[in-house]
Amino acid sequence: MSAATTAAARRPRRTFPAAGGLLLLGVPVLIAVFGPLLAPALTGPEGAPYVLGDGHPLGTDGMGRDVLGLLLRGGRSALGVATGAVLLAYVLGGLLGLVAATTRHRWLEEVLLRPVEVLLPLPSLLVISVVAVWWRGSPLAVALAVSVVNVPAVARLVRAAALSAADSPVAEAMRLQGESRLRITGGYVGRAVLPAAAADAGNRVTTAVFTVAAANFLGLGMEPTAPDWAVTVAGSREGLLVQPLAVCAPAAMLVMFTVGLNLSADAWLRRTGLSGRDAAGPPADSVRKGA
Amino acid sequence: MATASFVRSRRSVLSLAGGAALLTACGASADSSSKPSKGGTIRAVFPGFGAKETLDPHVGRQFVDMARFKAVFDKLVDFDAKLRPVPRLAERWEADEDLTVWRFTLRKAQFHDGRPLEAEDVLFTLSRILDPDSSERLAKNSLSLIDLKRSRAAGSRTVELRLTRPEADLPSLLAFTGTYVVSRRYRDPAKPVGTGPFRFVSFTPGRSFVGRRFDDYWDGAAHADELRILSAEPEARANAVRAGEAEYAHEVSATFARTVESHPDVRIVSTPRSGVEGILLKTDRPPFDDPDAAMALKLAADRERLVEVVLGGRGAVGNDMYGKGFAYYPEDVPQRERDVAEARRLARRSGIHGKKLVFYTSTAADSFVDAAQLFARQAAEAGLRIEVETGPPESYFTDIIDTGAITSHRSGAMPIPTYLSERLLSKAPQNVTRWRHPDFDADFAEARATRDEARRSRRYQKLQRTLRDEGGQLLWGHPDWMNAVSSRLHGVRKAPPNTRDWARFDTVWLD
Amino acid sequence: MIRYLLRRLGLAAVQLGVLAVLVFALTSLLPGDAAAVRFNEQAGLGQITELRAQLGLDRPLLERFADWAGGLLTGDLGTSLMSGDPVTGVITGSLGATAVLAGATLVLVLPLSLVLGLAAGLREGTRLDRAVSAVVLVLNGIPDFVLALALVALFGLQLGWLPATWVGTDGTDLLLRPALLVLPVTVLLARTVCLLARQVRAGTVAALHAGYVVQARRLGVPRRTVVLRHALPNAALPGVQELARTGDHLLGGVLIVEAVFAVPGTATVMIDAVRGRDVPVIQSVILLLAAVALALNLAADLLCHRLAPRSEAAR
Repeated sequence: MSAATTAAARRPRRTFPAAGGLLLLGVPVLIAVFGPLLAPALTGPEGAPYVLGDGHPLGTDGMGRDVLGLLLRGGRSALGVATGAVLLAYVLGGLLGLVAATTRHRWLEEVLLRPVEVLLPLPSLLVISVVAVWWRGSPLAVALAVSVVNVPAVARLVRAAALSAADSPVAEAMRLQGESRLRITGGYVGRAVLPAAAADAGNRVTTAVFTVAAANFLGLGMEPTAPDWAVTVAGSREGLLVQPLAVCAPAAMLVMFTVGLNLSADAWLRRTGLSGRDAAGPPADSVRKGA
Repeated sequence: MATASFVRSRRSVLSLAGGAALLTACGASADSSSKPSKGGTIRAVFPGFGAKETLDPHVGRQFVDMARFKAVFDKLVDFDAKLRPVPRLAERWEADEDLTVWRFTLRKAQFHDGRPLEAEDVLFTLSRILDPDSSERLAKNSLSLIDLKRSRAAGSRTVELRLTRPEADLPSLLAFTGTYVVSRRYRDPAKPVGTGPFRFVSFTPGRSFVGRRFDDYWDGAAHADELRILSAEPEARANAVRAGEAEYAHEVSATFARTVESHPDVRIVSTPRSGVEGILLKTDRPPFDDPDAAMALKLAADRERLVEVVLGGRGAVGNDMYGKGFAYYPEDVPQRERDVAEARRLARRSGIHGKKLVFYTSTAADSFVDAAQLFARQAAEAGLRIEVETGPPESYFTDIIDTGAITSHRSGAMPIPTYLSERLLSKAPQNVTRWRHPDFDADFAEARATRDEARRSRRYQKLQRTLRDEGGQLLWGHPDWMNAVSSRLHGVRKAPPNTRDWARFDTVWLD
Repeated sequence: MIRYLLRRLGLAAVQLGVLAVLVFALTSLLPGDAAAVRFNEQAGLGQITELRAQLGLDRPLLERFADWAGGLLTGDLGTSLMSGDPVTGVITGSLGATAVLAGATLVLVLPLSLVLGLAAGLREGTRLDRAVSAVVLVLNGIPDFVLALALVALFGLQLGWLPATWVGTDGTDLLLRPALLVLPVTVLLARTVCLLARQVRAGTVAALHAGYVVQARRLGVPRRTVVLRHALPNAALPGVQELARTGDHLLGGVLIVEAVFAVPGTATVMIDAVRGRDVPVIQSVILLLAAVALALNLAADLLCHRLAPRSEAAR
């Protein structure tokens, strides 16, 4: 699979990485969305632990469950928790950052951002582990924890990007023309923040997928028998040499998703004419200003 | 078979010990043709428990703790593979007619500080275990029958113990966890002084212990120069022994055993029937105060499938009684078979058919969640609706004393009377099934006060049968105990945990 | 500059204070306590109550917190509820291994990502750029624990070239067996280097396209000079900022690596403490980690302040 990725990335034409990225991204996303619907029809009967073949195209896991069935049902939580968490972090953090950047009242900015910054040094895995102990294995709880640890960084990033947009000549011009604050914020600044936010969100979803997976791997996240890609990888790892597919198939799903997401995000940024800035968005802005 | 004769004559004790020695000699010769050679460092890896690990031989209860204690200390009595008492520091014992006065004669042994073992050391040990100010001495409860004020040293090598009630199995009680004999000069737990085969060198909780050979060991000096007992998670244990970073890995999984099946440098030493896996039902509250409801679950379980999946096929099917293969086990009771129709009928009769029942489990042991999920699906076939809920593993065994109508259970090897007295008497500390029946308690008291071994055995067996039919114990399997051993290490014997030859590193050698 | 520094230090102190309260609340509210955990397999409820009293767990929450906070101010972190040893000793005993891992990673991460990022960025669009970018993209998409498992299985167990585990080693062995570090540090480096290299590449490309650089080149300043004097510092800027933020990844990585390789480090102590409800140890470790994260953040911001004094990040 990684060979395919490399090949796709090496293609000289720029449309190909984009296509490759979408393809890589598409497979796990489609499985995550539609897999649970197909699962009842495609799941094989339970068999002996860690066997290959015998009516199981991807073999069985340590509990004798059909790996294909696990794969089909395991995407929803593996991708959903991380994506949902980042979305929520953007709703909360984005709002905070935007308001902080465009407000005229310095005190409001302090009130909004200081408490959030206190959370910044909290190790995310620790938050997850503590929350997961509380609400034993609830995917919702894990998602909430992940989003909470992401809010401060998102707020910071959105504020930085919004500030540079709000200071730009366009915003200045709009202000001079007497446009309302809300329109400037929502219409221009908000849109100007989008590319940076999108690039960051792509990266953040990858990291969130990893963080959730790491928590599950350490036994601090979801139920150990939950049909979740990361949980299946963690649970089947001791069978790696006996029945490699139980580990490799769900791991491949995760890797395809993250690599595909990165590729697509890159391609999208290029297409929208932000090529040189790549994923670095706002810092590149500040470079120009600083220099 | 021979416990009663211990009580009476010294000769039978010695003959049994001799027989055991012969047996173990055969076992040792099976895996190696080479003669024991001296020297080297043995690295043995056990499941780690972090800061919970301790050096105090009367407090530590994890396997890794006990392996360390075994290296540094000895008990008066230990268990053979059938969980019958065999002499260690006590070379013989006898009881008076009504089983309340016991005399233990000590063998000649030396502490690591050069002083000889004396009766006073044993009395000091017992007073330390029974210390009313300490809450953590493991054997405090089980040895509370010893009346220390009236016990005394009868000569330098004879201890006379007086009991508050008759007890036929006192030697067994002295062989259980938390009964290691310490020197009467022992004060600082960080500086252990014992009579064991290895002198203490260093210890870091959750990481490592180092011991050096004690040349004056009473049972013959160990072969290896040095013993390291290390702590690690399952994956690291397996990796360590495969990569040659350790010679012995305690407790490996069935999957690991499959992985190394054809590995040239690693072999699996597997001891059959060394404990129990099961499901506990609380019998003091609905729905399992009705024995029919409990029986419905017992009949719904597909035990073969549980053993195949959860134990990876490495184990024997259980018959709802603890201690298969141990002394006092009723071997003649027919195996309980799955009967879905009957289970459904009993479920209907007791009103649990189609009603939601919660199985409260946790990841406290690797097998728990798997077994719970699998059992829930099996029970569904008999119309039982069981939902699995997972609780925090860290305090699981404490929590289930009060909560959870259906909970997970796992126990290592111990004598059947100990199992019964710790878990099934009205006042037993670990009575998770809430089995509280005064007549059961009375029968148990009568059994342990019975001098004749055959009659005592029959009484214990009757108690087991009652539990099997009416109790809250669904004991579906007896797992094999698997340790991984490097091909460099010889003389490792099959032995259930907690017995004399388990985790024993004085009799093994490196090539 | 001094005022800025003082303000940031003040903020850091407040952050740590609030964190201490938060962490105490979070961990104290966890189900089960140290006494229940210590007695998890044997003994009855009566003994647990006794031990709870011995450990002082039956006192009100506020009183326990006040005790701990008071001790903290005098430099006393209290004693572990699990082992009864001083927390300071528990932590310093574990710090060595983690410090060696983190140190080796931090020493290697900057040069590696600078070299990779610059090499790709300076030759934007070439075969080299695409190759580096592709490798970075793929590596970036592999979760730490999958990489760790794969490396152990391949180099540790199948080929036997490198130690597969740290079982049985302590801090002193590290100097004698540097091979122990190879696999864990590789795992720790992989994602961090990828993230940073991407930032550096992007920064380089942006700097090379910036008006002033184009202007300088047009005026005949040699490419070398432009790159070293002007482009490089600005290219490094996003990298440095990102470095501080990778602290969290790194910690996550350390947790995984310590678990997979059985490293007796601080992360292991923390996980154990969470499992054992060992509140004093959890709090002390978290405060320590948070302090390190804050210091890294501050250092990065100060560095940015110097590299580009008016930039947003330094505000």
